[in-house]
Amino acid sequence: MDILLQSIVTGVLLGGLYAIIGVGMSMIFGIMRLTNIAHGDIMILSSFLTMFFMQHVIGNPVAALLLTIAVMLVFGFCIQHFLINNVISKGDEPALLVTFGLSIIVSNGLFLIFGPAARGVPTELIRTNLINANGISVSSMYALNFVVAVAVIIALSLIMGRTSLGRGIRAASSDTLMSELLGVNTKRMYVYAMLLTVTTASIAGMLVGMTFTFYPTTGTQYLIIAFGCVVIGGMGSLVGTLLGGVILGLAQLVGASFLGSAYQQLIGFLVLLVILAVRPQGLLSKAVRK
Amino acid sequence: MNGIFSKGPAGMAGPAWHARRIAPIAVLAVLVSLAFWGSDYLLSIMILIMCYMAIGQMWNLLGGYAGLVSLGQQSFIGLGGYTLAKITQVYHLPVILAFVLAAVISVLFALLISIPVFKMKGVYFTIGTWIVAECLALFFSTWSFSNYAQGYTITATYAFSTAQIYLVALAVGVGALIVVMAVLRSRLGLALMAMRDNAAASEVRGVEQYRTKLKCFLISAAVTGIAGAALYLNQAFIQPANAFGISWTVSMVFIAIIGGMGTVEGPIIGAVIFVLLRQALYNFPGISMMLLGLIAIAIIMIAPRGIMGIIRRKTQFEIFPVRRHPSA
Repeated sequence: MDILLQSIVTGVLLGGLYAIIGVGMSMIFGIMRLTNIAHGDIMILSSFLTMFFMQHVIGNPVAALLLTIAVMLVFGFCIQHFLINNVISKGDEPALLVTFGLSIIVSNGLFLIFGPAARGVPTELIRTNLINANGISVSSMYALNFVVAVAVIIALSLIMGRTSLGRGIRAASSDTLMSELLGVNTKRMYVYAMLLTVTTASIAGMLVGMTFTFYPTTGTQYLIIAFGCVVIGGMGSLVGTLLGGVILGLAQLVGASFLGSAYQQLIGFLVLLVILAVRPQGLLSKAVRK
Repeated sequence: MNGIFSKGPAGMAGPAWHARRIAPIAVLAVLVSLAFWGSDYLLSIMILIMCYMAIGQMWNLLGGYAGLVSLGQQSFIGLGGYTLAKITQVYHLPVILAFVLAAVISVLFALLISIPVFKMKGVYFTIGTWIVAECLALFFSTWSFSNYAQGYTITATYAFSTAQIYLVALAVGVGALIVVMAVLRSRLGLALMAMRDNAAASEVRGVEQYRTKLKCFLISAAVTGIAGAALYLNQAFIQPANAFGISWTVSMVFIAIIGGMGTVEGPIIGAVIFVLLRQALYNFPGISMMLLGLIAIAIIMIAPRGIMGIIRRKTQFEIFPVRRHPSA
C-alpha cells in the first residue's frame, strides 16, 4: 500500500515536470497549428546552457537561468523570424519538416560541442527530502518542479487571458486574415509566442537538468513526453497540459510499481497510444481534430 | 514518320522510346557488372546507396504520395534486422528465408499497428508511428526472446563476400524501385494522386481513402523490412536502441526531401548525396548530420520539390515517368 501511495505522490509531482516541458509545445500548437519537433532539443539545449553558465560564468542557479533565457530568446527569435515564419503559410508539412531539421542540427551540434557523456546541472535539492514520514518521502527537487510548473502555467494563462499581448496572440491564431485586416501583425505575434515558449523551455531545461542526467540526444525522449502531455490534455489547452503531465507521470510510476521499473517508459507510451487512438482531440479540448 | 520528339501512342516506336527503354537496362547491366570489377570500398558504398535508396523510396511513397508523414519507419528496419539475426543466428536457417520472413513479419506488424495509428490524422499519425517504434525499442530491450539489450552479432554475414552482399543490396534497391513504379502506374497510384490533389473529390469518385492508404502502408512496411534485413546483413550487429532508432527515419526524410518529395528519381539522388556526404565526413558524424539538416531546411524553404523538382522545372526531364498520357 505504501509503495502504491509513494508511486502516486511521485507520479503527480513528476507530472508537474512533464507539464512544464509540454506547455511550450502546447502554446506553439495552439497558436500556429505547428508541431514543433525541435521542442525537446530546444529544452535540452537550455539544460546544457544552464550547466555551462553555472560552471564557467556564474555559480548562482537563478542568475545562470536568466543568462540562459537571454540566449534562448535570441535563438527563439531567429528560428521563428528567419525559418518558421517563412514556411508557416505553405501548409503543415514544410513547417513540420523544418523543425525536424532543426532538431537534428541542435542535437548534433550539442554532441559536437559537449560530447556523448551524461551531464547534470549541479544541485543539492535532489539529495534532500522535503517530507519524510510514514514511509512516504517527497524529494525537494520534485516538489520544486511541481510548484514551478503550476506557477508557470498560471502565469502563462494570465498573460494569454488578461494582457493585450495575449489578446493579440489569440487573435492571430483564431482568425489570421481578420486580425491582419484589423492591424495585428500576425507574424510578429508568432514571434512573441515563440519567445514565451523558449522562456518556458529554458525553465524546464534547468529543472530537467537538475532532476535527471541528460545527453545531447535526450531531446527526442522529452519531445515524446511533451507531445504526450499536450495530446492527453488537448492541443493548445494550458490547464489540460498540466492534467496530461500528471496522467502521464501517474501512468508511468503506478504502472512501474506493479510491473517493475524496466517497464516505466513503455507503459507511459502505451497509455499515450491508447489515448491517441481513442480520443485524439485530447481530454480537455473542444477543438475539432484536423 | 515520327520524329525524335514525338510523344504519345503514335510515337511509341520512335528513337526516344528506344532510348528510354534501353537506358535503364544498360545502367542495370553496369550495376550488376560492378560486383565483378568494383573494389570492396566502392561496393560497400554502393551497398549503402542501394539500401538507403530503397528505404528512402518507401518513405517517399508514404510521405510524398500517400500524405502519410511517418516518423516510425524504423520499426520495420528493426523487425527486418531482428528477423535476420534470429533466423540465421539462433535457428541457423538460410538467409533467403530471413528476407521472406522479414517482409511477412513487417506486413503483419504494420497491419496490427494500423488499427490504432490509422485512427490518427496528420501530425498525430506522424508522432503515433514514432511512439510505436520507441515502444518496440523499449520492448525488445526487456524481451528475453530478442536477447534483451545485448542483441546479436550476425555471423551469417561473414559467409558472404562484399560482392555478394552488394548483389543482395542491388536486388533490394532495384526491387524497391520496381515496386514504386508498379504502384504508381497501377490503379492504386492513380488513386493516390487523385487523393493527394483533392481528397474530397477523389472520394466522391469512388477512391476509398482508408484502403488506399493502408495498401501503401503495408507495401512500404514489407520493402522497408527487407531493406532492414539487407542493412543488418551488411552491418553484422544488432541492438534494440540502434535497430529501432529514429536516425533511420531521419535519413529517409533527408533523402526524400533533398532529392525531391513526390518524385521517383528524388530518393535516388537523395540517397547518393546522403551516403557520399556521410562517407566524406566519416570521422565527423555530427557535422555531416548538421550539414544534411541545413541542406534539408534550405531546400524546404527555397525549393520544396527538392533537387529533382529543380531539374524538372528547368528541363521537363523525367527518367521514370509515372504519368499516363491522356490518349494512351
